[in-house]
Amino acid sequence: MSQSASAPVLKSLDSPGALKPISKQRSLWGDAMRRLLRNRLSLIGLTITSLLLFAALFGPALAPYNYTDQDLLDVAQLPSRAHWLGTDEIGRDLFSRVLYGARTATLVAVFSTAVSVLIGLVLGVVAGYGGRWADAVVGRLTDIVMSMPSLLLAALIAVTLKEPIVTWAKGVYEQTHFPLFADTTWLDLLIVFGGLAFVQWPSYARLIRGQILSLRNEQYVQAAQSVGVSEITIALRHLLPNALGPVIVNMTFNLSSAMAAEAALSYLGVGVMPPQASWGNMIQSNIGSWSYRPWLVAVPALTLAIVTLGINFLGDGLNDALNPKSSKAI
Amino acid sequence: MLKYIVGRLAVAIPTFLAVLLITFTLTTLSPFDPVAMMMQQYEGTLDAMQQKEVVQRLRNQYGLDNSFVVQFTKYVERITHGDLGISINGQRNVLRAIVKTFPISLQLGLAGALLTTLVGVPLGALAALKQNSWIDYTIVGSTLVFRSLPVFVLAPLLLVLFVLILGIMKVPRGWDGLFNPKTILPILILMLGPLPIIVRQTRSAVLDVFSQDYVRTAKMKGLHIWLIIFRHILRNALIPVVTTLGFVAEGLIIGTIFLDSIFAIPGFGALVEASFRNFDYPLIMGVTMVTSLMIILTNLLVDLVYPLLDPRIKLE
Repeated sequence: MSQSASAPVLKSLDSPGALKPISKQRSLWGDAMRRLLRNRLSLIGLTITSLLLFAALFGPALAPYNYTDQDLLDVAQLPSRAHWLGTDEIGRDLFSRVLYGARTATLVAVFSTAVSVLIGLVLGVVAGYGGRWADAVVGRLTDIVMSMPSLLLAALIAVTLKEPIVTWAKGVYEQTHFPLFADTTWLDLLIVFGGLAFVQWPSYARLIRGQILSLRNEQYVQAAQSVGVSEITIALRHLLPNALGPVIVNMTFNLSSAMAAEAALSYLGVGVMPPQASWGNMIQSNIGSWSYRPWLVAVPALTLAIVTLGINFLGDGLNDALNPKSSKAI
Repeated sequence: MLKYIVGRLAVAIPTFLAVLLITFTLTTLSPFDPVAMMMQQYEGTLDAMQQKEVVQRLRNQYGLDNSFVVQFTKYVERITHGDLGISINGQRNVLRAIVKTFPISLQLGLAGALLTTLVGVPLGALAALKQNSWIDYTIVGSTLVFRSLPVFVLAPLLLVLFVLILGIMKVPRGWDGLFNPKTILPILILMLGPLPIIVRQTRSAVLDVFSQDYVRTAKMKGLHIWLIIFRHILRNALIPVVTTLGFVAEGLIIGTIFLDSIFAIPGFGALVEASFRNFDYPLIMGVTMVTSLMIILTNLLVDLVYPLLDPRIKLE
């Protein structure tokens, strides 16, 4: 009530030279941000995640070589001035390939997480609001998908759908000569997104449903209902901001597991195909020679390990920052 | 209790059927044509006319011209008879290949599960008892390292560390039974995967129990702290840990997929990896079915054991 009246005053106080107000009104998110930045581990996580995003965005521009460039005179070299992390068994610069791999990993992680959150959100809301039958149907669906080993299901989807989709894309290209379908390597990525999104959505559907059901029993929601606030306003004003915290935390952890899953699919030869650079296929193609060329497998493995660790630190920090009441239950 | 068991089974069986339906539908979309595969053996011996005839006969024989529903029911029927088909690569009986390799992975998996519990529960309890101290941060932070870190990342790094840098180990390869120094590294790697789940679950469960009235009463009575921990806290805190068994089982199964080829273990994981690498669809369907069955059975077991551990849980 007094908030609107005091707003202009606060504004003038914030201007340079004026006295700072003693107790500034803190927002939910500002508070969370402060808690996040106070935590040393989450700062490390934030740094690693920012570096990864930087490498994903600008890596190809910064990379000293192209990911397919072969230097046949310098095959399987140890790190040197010309090749910072050495070269692989067919003379490609390892540092450049790690940078390109960062783009692959980030693309897959971000897109598959986004798609699965979307599916999970829709089904979670349907289950939470749709009454007993809708809840039962969504519940069964999540149970079924969750009772399959996620990695195998994603691999099965990738392996069965790849050829039909690629054949279809080639057919489209022959008929229309649409340049998008000339090169089908992006379809590899698309299929990996789809496969991972399909195995990841159940956790979001469950989480969002649970949040809706438990938050609707909170007293402040019941108070809002009793004074006649509409359901949509309650959902947007009260449920959404409160349910968002756990979802964001889950998404962060999901980024690292999606990255690991992409590497796993590529390792199994059903994800991102060589010569495209993926940390998974880099590890796979060099794991046989770990005893005499250890750096070839150690570089992508360590990169993946550091990046997933960084994202997990960030997720843990976000968990403490956004859900201060929880005791690291995740 | 009987009603409860029947109810749980009534959920598990349709779930398993749905899993079969998903794998079956996916493989019908795949480019794999079993008849074309069988025709390979006649290559060069039949002319085009005869070939067509044989193809038609085979399609009839296997009911491939039937509708999707009929095909699926026949598939389920064959599975109930234990017929999982013949692999494309090497023409092996899929069920026999699974039965032959599974015990090895089961031994490794059980050893991993046992070890991860023996290490994870004390670590989780310690972290909870020393909440917000450096011990807590170290335990929680270091288990975060292993969360979502795949076996194929951990294994080569540990191999390089133990064999090349420290030199305390010969290259472990092959399988000579569970109680052989070769299995130390594989079991260690397997156990690290599910460790974070166990540690975190134990930690939060202990924290939860710690604030209960009966613990405070026990403290006020002057009971020794170790007695409180063992008799009052751990006994109750371990109940929710049991629920994570399903995740642990899945983590162990996924782990063995990568473990077996790296350490040349002739286990179930090696079979899974080979099936995907060779696009061997009958084998892929078989291994996916068996792993899903394992996860469903583990969850069923948890559901059945849980009410015995915690009498407050109502049987529905």
